[in-house]
Amino acid sequence: MKPPIFQYERPGSVDEALTLLAEHGDEAKVLSGGQSLVPMMNFRLARPEILIDIGQVAGLGQIERRNGHLSIGARVRHEELVHPPFDGPLGALFASAGRHIGHLPIRLRGTFGGSIAHADPVSEWCLLATALEAEIVVRSVRGERIIAIADFFEMTFTTSIADDELLTEVRVPWLGDDWVTGFSEFSRRVGDFAVVAVASAVRLEDGRVAEARIAAGGVAGTPVRLSLAEAKLVGRELNAAAIGDAAATAAEEINPSGDLHGSPQYRRDLVQALTRRALR
Amino acid sequence: MTMSTNPVWVGRSIRRVEDAPLVRGDGRYVGDIATGMATARFVRSSVASGTIASIEGPALTAADLDADGVGEIHAVLHRPDFVKVHQPLLARDRVRFVGEPIAVVVGRTPEEAEDLAEQVIVEFDALDDPVVHSETADSNTVVEGRFATPNVDAAFERADHIVELTLTSRRQSAMPIETRGAAASFDRRTGRLTVNSSTQAPHIMRTAISDLLAMAERDVQVIAPDVGGAFGQKLHLAREDVVVAWLAKQRRGAVAWVEDRTENLTASWHSRDHVQRVRGGFSADGQLLVIDADIECDVGAWSCYPVTWAVEPLMAMGEFPGPYRLADYRVRSRGLASYSCPVAPYRGVSRPVITASIERLLDTAARDLGIEAVEIRRRNLVTEFPHTSVTGVVHDEGTYVEALDLAATAFDLPAFRTRQVAARESGGTDGVLLGVGISTFAERTGYGTPVFAQRSMGVTLGYENVEMSMDPSGFVDVRIGASPHGQGLETTLSQIVADQMGIDTDKVRVIHSDTDQTPYGFGTFASRSIVICGGATQIAAGLLRERLAHVAAEVLEASHHDMVFSNGRVSVSGTDVGVDIAELARIAYHHTEKLGADIPTGLSTVASYDPAGTFSNACHIAEIELDPATGHVAVKRFLVVEDAGTLINPMIVDGQIRGGVAQGIANALLEEIVYDEDGNILTASLMDYLPPTATEIPNIEIHHLETPTSATITGAKGLGEGGTIGAPAAVLNAIADALAYLGVSVNELPATPERIRASIRSRMEQQ
Repeated sequence: MKPPIFQYERPGSVDEALTLLAEHGDEAKVLSGGQSLVPMMNFRLARPEILIDIGQVAGLGQIERRNGHLSIGARVRHEELVHPPFDGPLGALFASAGRHIGHLPIRLRGTFGGSIAHADPVSEWCLLATALEAEIVVRSVRGERIIAIADFFEMTFTTSIADDELLTEVRVPWLGDDWVTGFSEFSRRVGDFAVVAVASAVRLEDGRVAEARIAAGGVAGTPVRLSLAEAKLVGRELNAAAIGDAAATAAEEINPSGDLHGSPQYRRDLVQALTRRALR
Repeated sequence: MTMSTNPVWVGRSIRRVEDAPLVRGDGRYVGDIATGMATARFVRSSVASGTIASIEGPALTAADLDADGVGEIHAVLHRPDFVKVHQPLLARDRVRFVGEPIAVVVGRTPEEAEDLAEQVIVEFDALDDPVVHSETADSNTVVEGRFATPNVDAAFERADHIVELTLTSRRQSAMPIETRGAAASFDRRTGRLTVNSSTQAPHIMRTAISDLLAMAERDVQVIAPDVGGAFGQKLHLAREDVVVAWLAKQRRGAVAWVEDRTENLTASWHSRDHVQRVRGGFSADGQLLVIDADIECDVGAWSCYPVTWAVEPLMAMGEFPGPYRLADYRVRSRGLASYSCPVAPYRGVSRPVITASIERLLDTAARDLGIEAVEIRRRNLVTEFPHTSVTGVVHDEGTYVEALDLAATAFDLPAFRTRQVAARESGGTDGVLLGVGISTFAERTGYGTPVFAQRSMGVTLGYENVEMSMDPSGFVDVRIGASPHGQGLETTLSQIVADQMGIDTDKVRVIHSDTDQTPYGFGTFASRSIVICGGATQIAAGLLRERLAHVAAEVLEASHHDMVFSNGRVSVSGTDVGVDIAELARIAYHHTEKLGADIPTGLSTVASYDPAGTFSNACHIAEIELDPATGHVAVKRFLVVEDAGTLINPMIVDGQIRGGVAQGIANALLEEIVYDEDGNILTASLMDYLPPTATEIPNIEIHHLETPTSATITGAKGLGEGGTIGAPAAVLNAIADALAYLGVSVNELPATPERIRASIRSRMEQQ
């Protein structure tokens, strides 16, 4: 398993990277942490003619609260978000989801932006971005563009990032202490890709659910919001009965296809159990 | 010849001499030897069944092998119910499994070889023929064994309770961490071929290569360097290894091949893949009266050399009764060819599956009859030895019931039952269930020619020879025909020699796995080496001691019967008159004038050992947590009580048990090779084929019983495969125990979360 020959570029700045992307476009792939891309190149499933390594590019490593959102730079390592420098319901959610990503060596190299751009439907960060209604910031020589999450994931491993664009930042709307978050995942072994995962964020007002966000990965080609399940919670107390209803609805609402790791019926069973566990 | 009366080394857990270089990174594997060599890469079939219409590109094919007179592999048994098929090294015109090697390219580097392989274009015509080899009839049956005692039907009629079940064991891979590979080089000066291969049987491989390439056997040398796991997958002759050897000979140079993981999972040997339909008749108090079994083994597209594709079905047939008394037994056991990767024995070899079948049978009967799981086994385990099974297999002395009792006590079943009830009552919708499962089994080991001869193989496996010599400095070389690759034989054999000769183990060196430096032997597999090679080593060391005793007799002017060997010295019994062994060695080589004319010169001996075999036995108990909402099973505790006779090195024994149990747990819960309906492998990488990691395997508690056997000269029994044999059954029984309140069990290996969840859902829908 050796990759075919490729050209390697290591730009020193975002502008240099964008120039390379403008020139080489669809023949190029951006290398960030390499934890998804390099194995695909070794299997010869990905064959970029040019690899653009953004490892030296400055200004992509921030985790900061700005103007009501959390700004996460593309090159933030997974492990930095497993022990996040922010707290509250968002801190709890990132910590609880992030520890499921692979194993420690993978988390020390792999990056948040790389994971979002790779668009694996069972990726923990893609799921969180969907549940939290994130915005994706991409840049090219033509300028900057902000993509709403609903317009970002198109299908498995495919996003609306253009060939000459670089994902530089993800903006996650900040959640205050009136929100409760949860995450639950099923995988065959510790560190494996999730078969199904569920992330939830619920805002409570006077003890009742005012807003509910429930997203599932592993039940479609992209992470999906379970809007019917969400509707079962709104206006109710977040108790076992409401959670049970939402979980049962989640199982009926999805239309998963099956594969080696789970049949459609099994994925429905998992979504039901994981929705219940995330909302607890 | 007996063991020395005061063993100093045997029984001690001394550190392995093999380990320091491996841990430092100084190990030398085929991949290390291959560095810098020209690289071969195989072009493989992308269809499961078809004919090759054309091959274009920079490749060598079967036509090139044929033009050079290269032979075909004959992996056959000479018995009437065995269908003989001859296998070309590269597929000639018909392909029979996805991944079958069709052509080979050679590049200067692995990267270039992979590029070249992509340039080879093969056109196939799909072939829709249900018969894989025309030599079989339409049924694809390649071997069929049948056995029946005369009164099976009457026994079923007498039975108070009948249990029927089907046990399905899906395909697995032995999955050694180091894949297969060979680095071959041709010596232009001598005309000899040296093949470094990750093999378990260098001598058999040497003979086979010389036959296939029509070379004199003395011009072929096979070396197994450090081997990163084998488990049976590297016992069998790899077509690719022979092609690599041929390439080196053709090019009069060096060529290497190291398969990648996808090749290993797709086109190396697969294993298990049984369906066993079993019917057992029991008395009301749980006595097993009779079994009727129908066993089908999917053996893939080709037979493996040397043991053949008959091993899985025929061993399953012969050893089904296991450690239990069984008077009546009827069985039909078949090997069936299919358009899939060839199947070959993997650690355990049929016994993990037959043990799962009979253990599930017993537990199901126990539940039906209201008898406790430990008790039903107590009522059926063999207690008197030697025991001859209904199929004629002789069990030497063992501790089947004692191991069960010790395991049950050590586990503390009553305390578990209390926790189990509490978990079920307090768990709620998202609670976990606890389960406990038991298995007891006997493992056939250390059997030589007397047993293998019954199989009518092309090569009757069996004996081991050992050549032992002491040099003038008193250091001992032990040259063996076994080929250890992780079993620690360099350490354990030195312990045996050290005790025989009263020297330290660091004076002993074991030389193995190089056909130029060792006597002909059969390699290491089937839990044979400590018994057969260890036995020959003990005999040879005793003979060497006798030679030294004669030299000492001359030097000390006493009788050679009165010599005591201890601490590197030989003394006259009852006195402190003695001489260092190192000094005796000098005299033996440099001062033969001091010795009588009737004393042979030098200090070398040869010994041979070829026993009929011996059974070790064990009891496994597994405790699991089962999440009924997802079907996930975690093994929380695993306990082994094991009796392997005299233990040469208990630490090495424990290592064997732990590794085997890990593979058995993987068999039960995780590992499965999956094909789609077109014969493509879906589990072609470690993203999809799931070996266990450290987080899936609990600490394994081990207790030993030691019943030295009269069946072997060392008192030792083999045990290397026991972990894989008992663990799957224990885990399946634990799953059934956890789900007993629902009446659900899963008789499939692996019992994946999806299968468990589907059984639970289907039972809950019925209610």
